[in-house]
Amino acid sequence: MSDFSEELIRPTTEDEQGEPCVRSGSGMCFPWLQKHIESIASGGKQEKDFAQTTSACLNFIQEALLKHQWQRAAEYMHSYLQVLEDTDSNKRQGAPEIVWRLGSEILYYHPKSSVETFNTFADRMKNIGITNYLKISLQHALYLLHHGLLEDANRILTQAETWRYGEKSSSQEVLVNLIQAYKGLLQYYSWYKKKMELSKLDKDDYAYNTASQNMLNHSWKTSINLCTLIQIPGVWDPFVKSYIEMLEFYGDQDGAREVLNNYAYDEKFPSNPNAHVYLYNFLKREKAPREKLISVLKILYQIVPSHKLMLEFHRLLRKSDKEEHHKLGLEVLFGILDFAGCTKNITAWKYLAKYLKQTLMGSHLAWVQEEWNSRKSWWPSFHFSYFWAKSNWKDDKTLACEKALVAGLLLGKGCKYFRYISKQDHQVLKKKMKQMKKSVKKYSIVNSGL
Amino acid sequence: MDFPSSLPPSLFMTGPLGQSDVPDLSFMCSWRDALTLPASSPQGSQDSAPHVAKALLWEPDMPGPLPLLPPGPDPWDPGLTAKDLLFRGGYQFRRHPRAVLDVTEQISRFLWNHGDIAFAPLGRLLLENFKLEGAHSRSKTKTVVSVKRLHQDLGGHQPWGCPWAYLSQRQRRFSILGAPILSTSVASLLGELLHEELALRWEQLLLDDACTGGALAWVPGRTPGAGQLVYPMGGAMDTLCFQKVSLTPESEPQVLSDPGRIQLRGPVRQVVTRSVQGEALLAVRSDHHCGLWKVSTQGQPAPLQVLQVDKGATGISLSPHLPGELVICSRSGVVCLWSAEDGLRQIYKDPETLVFRDPSSWRWADFTAHPRVLTVGDRTGVKMVDTQGPPGCGLLLFRGGAEASCQKGERVLLTQHLGDLGPESLHPMLHLICTQFSLYLVDERLPLVPLLKWNHGLRSAPLLARLLPPPRPGLPQPLLLASQGGELQLLHLAGVGASTPRLVGLPQSLPTRSDSLSAFPLLEPKSHRRLQERLKAPTVGLAAAIPPPASTPVLSLFQLSAAGDVFHQRLHLRADPGPNARAPAASWTPQATACCSRWLEALLEVPLTPPVWAAPTFSHRRLLGGFEPQKVEGLVPEGFRRAMAQGRLLQRRDLGLLPTEERPPAPEPGPEDELSERLEAAWEFGAAAWWERQRGSRAGPGKQPKRHKRRTQLSSTFSSLSGRVDLSDAASPAPSPDHTLPEARPQPPRTPPSQELTQEPWAQGVPSERQQTLRDYMAELPLRTDTPGGASALSSQTPSVRATPSRQHAPQDCTVQQLPRGDTPEGTTLLSSQTPSVRATPSRPHTPRDGIVQQLPRGDTPEGATPPSSQTPSFLATRSGSQRLRKKPRMGF
Repeated sequence: MSDFSEELIRPTTEDEQGEPCVRSGSGMCFPWLQKHIESIASGGKQEKDFAQTTSACLNFIQEALLKHQWQRAAEYMHSYLQVLEDTDSNKRQGAPEIVWRLGSEILYYHPKSSVETFNTFADRMKNIGITNYLKISLQHALYLLHHGLLEDANRILTQAETWRYGEKSSSQEVLVNLIQAYKGLLQYYSWYKKKMELSKLDKDDYAYNTASQNMLNHSWKTSINLCTLIQIPGVWDPFVKSYIEMLEFYGDQDGAREVLNNYAYDEKFPSNPNAHVYLYNFLKREKAPREKLISVLKILYQIVPSHKLMLEFHRLLRKSDKEEHHKLGLEVLFGILDFAGCTKNITAWKYLAKYLKQTLMGSHLAWVQEEWNSRKSWWPSFHFSYFWAKSNWKDDKTLACEKALVAGLLLGKGCKYFRYISKQDHQVLKKKMKQMKKSVKKYSIVNSGL
Repeated sequence: MDFPSSLPPSLFMTGPLGQSDVPDLSFMCSWRDALTLPASSPQGSQDSAPHVAKALLWEPDMPGPLPLLPPGPDPWDPGLTAKDLLFRGGYQFRRHPRAVLDVTEQISRFLWNHGDIAFAPLGRLLLENFKLEGAHSRSKTKTVVSVKRLHQDLGGHQPWGCPWAYLSQRQRRFSILGAPILSTSVASLLGELLHEELALRWEQLLLDDACTGGALAWVPGRTPGAGQLVYPMGGAMDTLCFQKVSLTPESEPQVLSDPGRIQLRGPVRQVVTRSVQGEALLAVRSDHHCGLWKVSTQGQPAPLQVLQVDKGATGISLSPHLPGELVICSRSGVVCLWSAEDGLRQIYKDPETLVFRDPSSWRWADFTAHPRVLTVGDRTGVKMVDTQGPPGCGLLLFRGGAEASCQKGERVLLTQHLGDLGPESLHPMLHLICTQFSLYLVDERLPLVPLLKWNHGLRSAPLLARLLPPPRPGLPQPLLLASQGGELQLLHLAGVGASTPRLVGLPQSLPTRSDSLSAFPLLEPKSHRRLQERLKAPTVGLAAAIPPPASTPVLSLFQLSAAGDVFHQRLHLRADPGPNARAPAASWTPQATACCSRWLEALLEVPLTPPVWAAPTFSHRRLLGGFEPQKVEGLVPEGFRRAMAQGRLLQRRDLGLLPTEERPPAPEPGPEDELSERLEAAWEFGAAAWWERQRGSRAGPGKQPKRHKRRTQLSSTFSSLSGRVDLSDAASPAPSPDHTLPEARPQPPRTPPSQELTQEPWAQGVPSERQQTLRDYMAELPLRTDTPGGASALSSQTPSVRATPSRQHAPQDCTVQQLPRGDTPEGTTLLSSQTPSVRATPSRPHTPRDGIVQQLPRGDTPEGATPPSSQTPSFLATRSGSQRLRKKPRMGF
């Protein structure tokens, strides 16, 4: 009776969509709004007894999980499965996903659960409802992968790959692509193993031929599996990396370049620093001209000026013939040292000290001043404070010396950092100190203004 | 710097929130996060060892946190609940109950309780239609009503819906006369304002963003185990306390000496602390002021700067890179950077939200790994802004939309830079973003694509987060997440160097303050409820510290509640519990229960919140004055009249009757009452306490048990005479669930002394927040300032006149004003010797002007009235100090 009346009322009310939470006037959604409303004994339809019980059960499971009480959670879960029989169609549709999410979580952590239990559970859950087949298959495969059962994982992925329901929705398609890509990754994995075996074999060996034949077959299958996904905007680092490796192995340099260019420069993709790193590494392997390498790293520099490849970038720029590259080389060094995580990077300081001196010797004072102008307000307290002088000298004397030289060149010999370091007495570094003082005296940009 | 060489796969799709066709790949996170793929070079897969950390668990020592400090002396009131705001009747046929603001009830309550305010101006308008003096009106005009007669007609009738109220001709005439004005003006003017106010309170109840970031901070001291807790205290949370605490791995924290106190002029909303280059700094945000202190190595604070934010400050952050640099955001959408060198600098301004239009004026700002790049956030997204670049430009770091597969209605509640915490810690480029559903980790080098998403499932807004250094090298970093409702979650974040950040194991929930209820002694229901309410107070501060290394890492967790209580809990790390190990259920130690009893005793001594105002009693005493008291001797004794006049209980002797031998027993609880009380107490597990109290109160009078005996002998003869009058307070029955009704407590309204200067008589006892509403309302009314009659009416008018010009301030568009600083030497000052105070600009109406952040000079004027032990760099007295009154006054109407 109650069901019937519900059905009658349903189309008329607007707030009907079975939304899990109610939105407030500002458009913001508050998951805790329901709790407030329930606290006032308002009219409105009371939830059915079963609905109340299931939601209480769900709370118990979540609570037990967050307290890492796997056994208790499992016991509640046992009862919660009843929710799959809910007469409320809205809830019945949503239930399998919740059951799967919580169930898989419990089985992952439960000390007594085994792969077999997980398999059984996953296989059952896949076939309840239709919306979750692909997702569950993918997660099932990942679970098996994690437990080192690559073949089982491959089997699950193969099953899922061919599964279709109704009209293909775009979300379904992406999932299918993802499943294929993971399958491709598995194939890559076995290919890689074969490649390793192959490298151990003698080329004239009979076995070599069969093995390489095998590998060829693999590669062909894998490329099909991988290349669809990596054309969809996203972050696909592991897939791209393995795909490139295989393409390169079979000498398809153009194909690899195209994939990488697309991955790095397609505007629909997020600006992923790794895309540029992969492209750069590829070009480096290909022995591309320096000009080309610089142009790739220039873009990476714009995205991530703190990347560790920037030191390599600086070296490339330094070796370049163009004056603008030399200028950029200085900029890159300053850029690296702007970041909090790089303040103790000895190589960067070493490069900067050397290059700064070199630049000033080459009478490019304007370059230095251009870089320094935007930094002179904060670098002194960021890098060259008395605190850092003391702590750098205590922790790393070489670093302190390099920094002192830079400080002296940029701020003059009056600066706190330089003064503190130059006052220190150290036998081994004596010569270096002397040199440092001389350089500062001669090239400091503060002196030159006078 | 290392960037993860291979990022976890994720789909990238642009679009609005809740786009239905985007497959949410965040399911790849959570526990599946531990499922690392065989890395592209399969050798890599062997050395990744997520299994080791699978069973990481922090175990609490006790079933719940314990109070660290005794409760403050000021009463605390839990404030408004949904019950006070929402319409209680429901639509019968709605499937989901809806929140409907109950304006009608509130307005009728207001009209009833504050009739003078609501109707006095109208009364003045209608003055010519009333005849105030003289009983007999000889006026020919039918539109003049005699007030005296009207009163007589109304006399005695409670108009509160009394169906038997007699309607006289005069009343009819009056209602016909008054109806058009009374119904339209009061209802429409006030109703609109009231609705606005109710909506505001309701929004606040759902999400109170004032305390985002938290008002509790741990300032480490010279030794690793020592430090200070900094938190606000007092009824208005306006006293900043510096409590020295010493932590040892073996025992509970020791509270050392009395806390140092700094009195501020406004409730403290956020306390931030950072140590930069060996210098500990402390920043405090109040509603309209922000302050910066430097904490010396001895732990003494010296003020550096006070900033005024007229439009209201929503967030403050200290730079992890440069000492003394801080960023403030205001409700006008302005973000300002302050540093000792450059002073105050506006770096960003946008009154609109970043991604899509959202009405919230909440803004947030934090630092990034680059000292000159800041994150600026609002409810819709987070943007990275280069302070050196052209204004307004920058990249979006997080976008509320399909990129992060956000749900419909999802909003950013908190963003935090997970800054550098040492060499073994996470990458300094990571940012935490919390919404009401999920938690995201975003790397600033890969904007828009969250590296991790986890559905936290908290039942209230997560507004506090603290990242701690790894308890031991190689272990993941604990990230604490606290929600307003008190829930606590602890997540383990791993991913140092070139690996991607990920969650290790399932996050765990920690005990809440409500879990400590079992540590307290049994109580009778009333006190039990009070304790329960107190423990359920929203969490407004969170701090954690890891005491010096021990055999097993220990985590000390402190939380501050809105009631001003600081609770503490210790957690032990259990890194490898083995397959079948189950956490042995922690239990209360005798020390813990003793501590709780002491705390409870102190709490019960704190007086209950006095009502903000008392319902007027519609005294007719003045009318009574008109009648000469008739001297009738004999029939009505003097005692009786006195009892009536004083409104007290009538006793036998008042009636002039001598106590006789066979007098009826004095009113006392009947057996039924006692039984029901005891049952009620037992129901709440408070039987023992009830009995204690009952015995205690009986021991006093001494003869009660005897009387009781006689009472039973008399059996039912006098049952009709017995009443419940003489009950001791403790044994009184629990208040009805509707005890929130303010009328229930007719106590004189409390007016703090600070208010008296600025407040008019009518405003006494009206909560400060509402005064503005009332002023606004009254300003809207057509007023005549020169009405001769009614002094009280006149006085009630003045504030509105005074208040109006303040709103005519031409909005100054975001000027940033910096006044010269005083010449107090920095850093070398001592707490006890110095009493610097920041001088006030002349008191001004607190109507905020648009986005002005004014920097005030530092001065060294001593303030005489301060206690000698405390330093008083007070926030300015720009407002009438009305914030002192109460933080969340109950709405009276």
